[in-house]
Amino acid sequence: MTNLLEIHDLHARLTGGRDILKGINLTVKAGEVHAIMGPNGAGKSTLSSVLAGKPGYEVTAGHILYQGTDLAGLPPDERARNGIFLAFQYPVEIPGVNNMYFLRAALNAVRKQRGIAELDAAQFLKAVKAKLNLLDISDDLLKRAVNVGFSGGEKKRNEIFQMAMLEPALAILDETDSGLDIDALRAVANGVNRLRDPGRAIVMITHYQRLLDYIEPDFVHVLADGKIVASGDKTLATDLEERGYAHLASAA
Amino acid sequence: MLISPALHEDRGMTEIKPETVPYIASYRAGVDTAEPAWLQARRQAAIEQFSALGFPSRRDEAWRFTNLRPLTKAPKLPALEGVSRPDPTSEGIEALSFPGAPHRLVLNNSSIVPALSSVANLPDGVWFGSVTDALESRPELLKSAFDAADLAGNQPFAALNAAMFKGGFLLALEPGVSIDAPFEIIHVNADATSHVRCAILLGAGASATVMESFTGTGAGWNNIVTWVELDAAAKLRHVKVQTESQDAIHLSLTRATLARAAGYDSTVLSFGALLSREDIQVALTGEGADFTLNGAYLLGGQQEANFAPIVAHQVPGCTSRQIVKGVVGGQAHGVFLGSIRVFPGADQTDARQTNRNLLLNTGASVDTKPELEILADDVKCSHGATIGDLDDAALFYLQARGIDTVMARRMLVEAFAADVIDASGAPAPIREHLHSQLSAWLERLP
Repeated sequence: MTNLLEIHDLHARLTGGRDILKGINLTVKAGEVHAIMGPNGAGKSTLSSVLAGKPGYEVTAGHILYQGTDLAGLPPDERARNGIFLAFQYPVEIPGVNNMYFLRAALNAVRKQRGIAELDAAQFLKAVKAKLNLLDISDDLLKRAVNVGFSGGEKKRNEIFQMAMLEPALAILDETDSGLDIDALRAVANGVNRLRDPGRAIVMITHYQRLLDYIEPDFVHVLADGKIVASGDKTLATDLEERGYAHLASAA
Repeated sequence: MLISPALHEDRGMTEIKPETVPYIASYRAGVDTAEPAWLQARRQAAIEQFSALGFPSRRDEAWRFTNLRPLTKAPKLPALEGVSRPDPTSEGIEALSFPGAPHRLVLNNSSIVPALSSVANLPDGVWFGSVTDALESRPELLKSAFDAADLAGNQPFAALNAAMFKGGFLLALEPGVSIDAPFEIIHVNADATSHVRCAILLGAGASATVMESFTGTGAGWNNIVTWVELDAAAKLRHVKVQTESQDAIHLSLTRATLARAAGYDSTVLSFGALLSREDIQVALTGEGADFTLNGAYLLGGQQEANFAPIVAHQVPGCTSRQIVKGVVGGQAHGVFLGSIRVFPGADQTDARQTNRNLLLNTGASVDTKPELEILADDVKCSHGATIGDLDDAALFYLQARGIDTVMARRMLVEAFAADVIDASGAPAPIREHLHSQLSAWLERLP
């Protein structure tokens, strides 16, 4: 079976800066959940940005294969339409753009790419209702402008709701646990767990082990100074919780 | 080109500005001796005023950012009598017309197009029609409106308009008459010079909605003067959509006088014209009068648009709210020259003015100059201006959800501009009409 995502010796940086990622290797298969952990400054957010195709970053060596195709030069909207979803660490507030209008435009862009009929307003509403029930989210979030005036927890739930609607093949969750209290964390984690699927891979990027108490990963990787310095199963995370990152970082 | 010495015999010291010479000749060729004497005299005074003022220059503060070159490089004169332009078709005006308007006037180069207009069966207490018809049946309405309109002040184009106008519209409501359905005026300019004269006169307690749209082809010049007079507690909603040809010139001066507790609510969307200017001069002359302006200029290519609202708080207790937004792409240029003047003794004035601009690329530019002049003590005034780019973070967020760059830019531009429409407080059908005009513009956004 083809790997969903293959990262080979990836070096990347902010355009014109120094390399932040210094040779990442990672293979992810459909249905797997991977956790990438690491201290501040290890390159976690750079990795998620580079995977999503955020402008301002450049790959200086190595490559990323997604569904067997090199992502080099592919703009972020095409990556998204091809099934890559980034749940933002800091979801962006967009005044004046209604959440429903935005999401319908996004969903129809994705459906068009997949060769499925676009949804009209009534069909879209029906699809929304089904996902809201699945994730136990109130519909008043949808009537507002995108993320405007949302609490930290609401923003993260909105990200997971978008993921549920867009049904990506590869979801990258960038510090989805940051800024959440324990109830909000549990709600978001439950949402993610409901979206686990044999056809879908999830890559969670996180600083803390606590997210992994709620979303159990198949694999855990430790990122330090731009490289993956250790990989293992979920017990690696427990180990990190006890001993910290320091000994791994020095090993790198 | 010879100028009759008689033209300036009573003001021998006044110099005739050379650029006005062809205009004076054109005026003289078009004098209509069948017109009432008072009107002929006014036209004469106006052409003298214009010949003395000449075109504004960049030394004039009010015109310092305006590139008048498209207008000044060659004289733009009205066509001679007998040169007719084909009338627009109903299909031609369909995209602009507002479906909910039972009373409509279509003007082709300022002259009424009867086949497309519906001004019969007006409600009691309403006069609505072309200025030429008004001159026949209600000359007193025109006379009162024109006397005060434009000989005062440094207004060369208003003076030229007074001298040369051949058409326009007049709407007058008797006191206490309230009409909900909008009065619609569609101005079509086909590659011509038109001096358009309009007046909206509401008696005490009257209320009306006026929807004007401007469209056309070619490199014409529309020079419009609109006189708005609102008696005590009269309410006017005035909606204007300007979608003239990208080669046209559109100069519009609106002068409004508001009596006690009158309300003037103006919404102006400028999409078209190579060069356009909206001079909106509002005098709040009775206590409790209120003026609201929601405006936007949306530009690309080589376009330039100027918004110059001037609000004079002459008496205590008046309010004014102005928000003008600019979306400027291509090599286009947006100009905002707003001014709030609070007269001595005009206490309890509450006045706000904001200009916000979005530059879509590096070649686009904006000059903005909001001004406050306060000569009273107890007032609440604020003004401000911003110029910014599209938010890269928002753009990436939309793209990261699969929305392509063009669509993402349109969504953000629409979000920026649309609240001018939503804030107008207009009834839903009018807002929808304006949103559809905005959408049509966004469709063409590169």
